[in-house]
Amino acid sequence: MELRYDEDFVEAAAFLCTSGRRKGVSTLQIARFHRERERLYSILDPDDRNTAFFRLHLEWFREWGLEEVLTGLVKEFPLLTRMLSVLVVRKTRGKNDDGAELYVNEARQRSAIVALPPDFFERDVTLRNYLRHEFTHLSDMLRPDFGYLPTLDLPGLNSAQQRLARERYRLIWDITIDGRLSAAGHVPMATCEQHRAAFFRGYSFWPEARRTDTFDALWQNGSPAHAQFLALIADPRGLRESHGPAPGASCPLCGFPTFAWVSDGAVTTEIARTIAAQFPDWTTEQSLCTRCLETYETLAGVVVH
Amino acid sequence: MSNVLNWQLGREMEYPYEAAYPDQQFAFIFNINRCIGCQTCTMACKSTWTFSKGQEYMWWNNVETKPYGGYPHHWDVRTLDLLEQANPGGQNWGGKAEDIKAPYGKFHGKTVFEAAKTFIGPQGANRALGYLPTDDEWSAPNRYEDHPVGNEKGVKGGYFKGGELLPEHKTWFFYLARICNHCSYPACLAACPRNAIYKRPEDGIVLVDQERCRGYRKCMEACPYKKTYYRGTTRTTEKCIGCFPRVEGKDQAGHGLPMQTRCMSSCIGHIRLQGLVGLNPDGTWKEDRYNPLYYLIHIAKVALPLYPQFGTEPNGYYIPPRWVSRPYLRQMFGPGVDDAIERYAAPDRELLAVLQLFGKDQRICDRYEIKEGPKVFETEVRGKKFVLYNDTIIGYAKDGTKIIETTVEEPLHIRPDKHANSI
Repeated sequence: MELRYDEDFVEAAAFLCTSGRRKGVSTLQIARFHRERERLYSILDPDDRNTAFFRLHLEWFREWGLEEVLTGLVKEFPLLTRMLSVLVVRKTRGKNDDGAELYVNEARQRSAIVALPPDFFERDVTLRNYLRHEFTHLSDMLRPDFGYLPTLDLPGLNSAQQRLARERYRLIWDITIDGRLSAAGHVPMATCEQHRAAFFRGYSFWPEARRTDTFDALWQNGSPAHAQFLALIADPRGLRESHGPAPGASCPLCGFPTFAWVSDGAVTTEIARTIAAQFPDWTTEQSLCTRCLETYETLAGVVVH
Repeated sequence: MSNVLNWQLGREMEYPYEAAYPDQQFAFIFNINRCIGCQTCTMACKSTWTFSKGQEYMWWNNVETKPYGGYPHHWDVRTLDLLEQANPGGQNWGGKAEDIKAPYGKFHGKTVFEAAKTFIGPQGANRALGYLPTDDEWSAPNRYEDHPVGNEKGVKGGYFKGGELLPEHKTWFFYLARICNHCSYPACLAACPRNAIYKRPEDGIVLVDQERCRGYRKCMEACPYKKTYYRGTTRTTEKCIGCFPRVEGKDQAGHGLPMQTRCMSSCIGHIRLQGLVGLNPDGTWKEDRYNPLYYLIHIAKVALPLYPQFGTEPNGYYIPPRWVSRPYLRQMFGPGVDDAIERYAAPDRELLAVLQLFGKDQRICDRYEIKEGPKVFETEVRGKKFVLYNDTIIGYAKDGTKIIETTVEEPLHIRPDKHANSI
């Protein structure tokens, strides 16, 4: 497996070392780095100059032992070295841009990109924790028994519900990753209690005993699989079977999940007639969300107070 | 450190270099009351200077929605926070407004240069207190566009009463157009370890020498207005160049006369006026009663510097928006805000005439003259008498060429009935 770097990433990491934020970088080295760098400004051809800068930054990236940290960690994940042709490390562009992605080309060659904030080189511990998490993530995607698919096969969900399902998938996957890292004696990105709290928030509609049992099973799951995750995210409330105004169920008119159903008596005959003109099969028992009520109040010409 | 006079602060302050002033200083005034946030200035600058590879995130001119917007995000809040941390509770103004050396009273707090001495970062002490914005802080130049701040929650089906009444609206935002302030004491210049930044002796425009810059980004860290930008393709820093070829009179459209910058000239709201002002040996402005900038800043005192407390003596001035919360404006423009708004809201005869010069011609107006016209009407503006005269204002270029002649009342042309579609 070849390890490649994004130019911005190597440059930012080298500059972090010159800023005094990484221990073990001597002022003499910093002065030499700047001297060598300044010489490159005399290269007139922009492409040649760019290449020269990249080479220099990469040399110092290696000199300051940053590459060693990365290669050392990659070795802990033999699946990556065996199954990936290329692993690219790039700089994150923003706060929510970190993570790892797997790509497969037409020749079935696999490559991966890990987005990494260069600031993590300030402390190798933070970097290692982060990379172990992301490399486990990639290993799962490569593991045949995990059965990873790049898209979630969840028919019947609207876009808002699909987004929610993806969020749940991410939550559950992170729990199993950190559970395994913790069991192996590594420091996870978030503690068991932090994950438990996040899981309890995400599945607040379940009884506490069910939440506890499911979370414990996830945290201790040594070999999770895509199919197990799908079973937990698709319809955890069992709303598909519900055809009434249950909290979180979809409004029959707009199709968006809602917790704000209209109260009894809010739908006047006039409003019901206006709704029926557009939704002939709709009945008052099915109810509707307060947003839709506002819309049909306006369409019906009812004065809003 | 040496001691230099910062007249905007009404006192001497510490600066890493000895005082040195140009023959003339590039300066400008933006009338925020008229800005509609159309970004024409932004695009005029972009299409002239920063359209190349590696300049994608460079907006030498930008217009942001205050209070939430900013490019980079929260640039002013972050610097104000750093200053507050360095001098808790001490960033205050006091004293009386005096002459040209202390027109807003005296600032008792610390400037970015003075605060830097007690703020030691991982690389040691800096020459100016600042921070280097992260990549994502540069990601959206117009974030929070049109987001107002309000002190009342909206109610369903109605508007709250009196929200539009002055002196302060209950819900407000305003557009803040910004370019490099070509400061008299630039923090970018002070911080550069390569001496690659300099002020031109002929007009005080601050430039980065591309031959000397080695991309340390110290200027980006130090500039409190965050108006220098790193270009990844050249690995140097670039910034607003004050359209110096135009200011020098080398743009063919000016026929040899100095012209205002592209952003000033393109402003469709006529909010901008740019020119050059003479300086005294101590850096204060040479008296030039009929230079429109001198008049608006030192006589009428309706235009105020942006965050003067930073201590760089910016040469960009703003007529503050009259509907905005006063404490917010005092923080942004200093203690001269209340008087400036008072004068602008009911302008006297001369001020009203001078305000007509904004955006009337691309060439730099060096001097104005007013020819008195008839009284049109009188009224009362918030308890103050206001009389409108249809005076004529004439603007002259440096060499005496008449470049502007306009009246206070907008000329009205009545189309003859004969040709319905003709002018």
